[in-house]
Amino acid sequence: MKDFQSKLCMLLLEEYFGNIVQCIGNSLLHSRKTLDVIRLHTNLPLIKVKEGLCVLIKYGFVTYQQDEKGSVHYVLHCEKIIMLLRYPRYMLFAKTYCRDEGEIMLEEVLKHGYITASEVIIKTYKRLEETPSKCAEQLSVANLKNTFELLVKNQFLMHSISFNTMKENIEKPEYNLPHLNMTAISNILQGQNADPGDNKLYWKVNFDRFTQDFRDKIMVSAMTQRFDINAGELMRQLINLMYLRTAPWTATSNPIPYTEIKEEVKKLTFLELEQYLDQYLRLIEEDSSQFIKRVGDSGGGQYSVNMKNAFKQLVWATIESIVAERFGSKAARIFRLVRIEKNVNLDQIQQLAMIPAKEAKCLTYILAQENFIQMQEIKKAGTLAAPTKGPFHFYIDLTKIVQMEIEHCCQALYNIIKRRDHELSNNKRMIEKQLRVQILSSNMKEHGATEQQLADIAEMMTPSETQQLEKAQNAIKKLNVTELQIDETLFLLTIYLPYH
Amino acid sequence: MEAEGSGLQERNVNTNLDGLETIEQKIIALAQARPNKGISDKDLAIEIPDLRPDQRAQIINKLLKQECFELYNNKQTGVLSYRLRDPTKIVKGADNEEKVVYKIIEEAGNKGIWTRDIRFKSNLMHTQLKKILKSLETKKFIKVVKSVAASKKKVYMLYNLEPDESITGGAWYQDQDFETEFVDVLNQQCYRFLEQKKEKTKNCNIGPVAARNMTFASSKDVWKFISDLGISKVKLSVTNIEMILNTLVYDGKVERILAGDGSNLYRAIEPLVISPGLIRTPCGLCPVRKHCFDDGPVTPIKCQYIREWLD
Repeated sequence: MKDFQSKLCMLLLEEYFGNIVQCIGNSLLHSRKTLDVIRLHTNLPLIKVKEGLCVLIKYGFVTYQQDEKGSVHYVLHCEKIIMLLRYPRYMLFAKTYCRDEGEIMLEEVLKHGYITASEVIIKTYKRLEETPSKCAEQLSVANLKNTFELLVKNQFLMHSISFNTMKENIEKPEYNLPHLNMTAISNILQGQNADPGDNKLYWKVNFDRFTQDFRDKIMVSAMTQRFDINAGELMRQLINLMYLRTAPWTATSNPIPYTEIKEEVKKLTFLELEQYLDQYLRLIEEDSSQFIKRVGDSGGGQYSVNMKNAFKQLVWATIESIVAERFGSKAARIFRLVRIEKNVNLDQIQQLAMIPAKEAKCLTYILAQENFIQMQEIKKAGTLAAPTKGPFHFYIDLTKIVQMEIEHCCQALYNIIKRRDHELSNNKRMIEKQLRVQILSSNMKEHGATEQQLADIAEMMTPSETQQLEKAQNAIKKLNVTELQIDETLFLLTIYLPYH
Repeated sequence: MEAEGSGLQERNVNTNLDGLETIEQKIIALAQARPNKGISDKDLAIEIPDLRPDQRAQIINKLLKQECFELYNNKQTGVLSYRLRDPTKIVKGADNEEKVVYKIIEEAGNKGIWTRDIRFKSNLMHTQLKKILKSLETKKFIKVVKSVAASKKKVYMLYNLEPDESITGGAWYQDQDFETEFVDVLNQQCYRFLEQKKEKTKNCNIGPVAARNMTFASSKDVWKFISDLGISKVKLSVTNIEMILNTLVYDGKVERILAGDGSNLYRAIEPLVISPGLIRTPCGLCPVRKHCFDDGPVTPIKCQYIREWLD
């Protein structure tokens, strides 16, 4: 059933790493394999397979395990490949916390998979040198080192120790900073050989941290949407307090005492929230979405964040609006009805939804046909197995729908990327021409060309060409934005699964 | 729909005269004790002395109307008396088949029974059954009612019975047709009422919980609002409005909670997520998605929906 998810992964691998890597990925899609088997399967020379595997391992898409007989198996992780789509968002996120330098640093780490601290600093330095306008502070190795430390402090980066799958689950993320030899780094930058002091210590991006943050953001914006900005802020504080006492992926947090919440809120500048704190807590707690729960009365009340339930509600809301958009609001009414009333038959649906019998029947069958609701025949005990026109009950299997919609998202992403590639290659000549014209005109400008000359160059692009190019560029832009939007839905749906 | 209105009235009367109902049972019991002789007015006055004559008349009239009792002249005493109508005696002069059919229809109660089912139960031939039904109908023992569930399906029931709501459809049906527009308008108006209530609290500074509590409306409030609007020619009951409010709950626009006194409270709510990214794309809503592959009649590159959307 994960047809399109695999297809999307392969497309992403091809786009980012080329044909050979995609080929190897493809052979690992359905089962883990040893090196020899991959070679046989892909018909590639051994050296290419090794190279390709290296790339895949470097970015964490493939890990290896050793079995009892001592042979090494390679395993592909599709969910990590899909994260490639989110790299721009990760970088934007790093930018908001650690400014432009942080963004560039993160980009470097993402580009390399894993890398030493000194190398990151050197590469960032060089890049910033080329575009000085991007740097907020004065460009210096010490400043960059501070930014790197900030990235580590925010846990965006962590030690990269092993790619062995068996070990990965046991190993705890480490954030110890190395002692960097600053003068050595400066020396390297000037082209001399020196030892920066962190030769073997590699860093990689802590994807889990970003995933958590996106997850939290979804919850905060849901609360803001439901109530107001104060409730959203309160949710953020509660999640922050949750991290202090609970592992990030547990379903429900340990109890958070009221006094602590109050103290955190006092630090903020949300006057209204401070004034009505207990009321806001009550509001969120009593709401049907049940993001938090009151678990005790000691110390003014104990609250716990219920992640599992929150995502259940969020996924329900998402699926409901998908149904509403695809099949109309009457169908959404029936869908919600089946959700609320659990097991219902057709007559009940007609009566409760207050939709004319024929329409209700039609919509119910459409929903059943598209697998949004499930049908079950009620057989009386003792009747024969022969086909009977027994009464049917309808119910919803949420996990099934989520899997189906994840597949739907993957297909949509696959299509959008395909289409974008198509638009790009279709207008390749034009895009290249425009690039040439731009380079030419900027070159001429440097050499002191007259206005007339510049205008002549600009005219090399005919009006119809400019128009078409503009259209194509708009289309590509739109497709890019859409890709991010679909990924948001995909993300929300994938978060649901580990909780349930 | 008129029947629904009068039914409601009757219910009200019943609750007012709750005491009379027990007396009614008493009278029936008395009549049952004397199936042949029946009871006269005098007997009643003796048996139940604290009953006022006008009340007695009311009950007796009601029972006569329901055809529970029949009036007959007692030849021995020469006074008019009441006695229980014997259901089997109704079909006096009828043959055995008619009695059987009558019994089957009687068993079906106010839900009625379909000809086909009568035929199966009675094992009578089609034409013969038709004749019997016709004769029973002309004698006003049974009547035909059209069901809303299936417009061509006719059901039979005893003449004096009030058809069940599942047959007539209640307030939402006019001549077997479901009034979609009427329901939709009510649905919108109810939502508007709750939404306005919510809007009002936006600017008053009373704290979030108080503001939320102000947005709640009981079904009675909504009922009053709808009645005052005068959009409905039919008299709607509070239960009718609750049905409409429930559709709003199923629309995800309204939340329902139980109040302390057991009644339902409703309020307009905001959704948790606004339109997810997937459905803002043509692929999210694509009707031919299942046929979409790399090659074939539908491909992402040839796709018309994407082209229209990009332009």
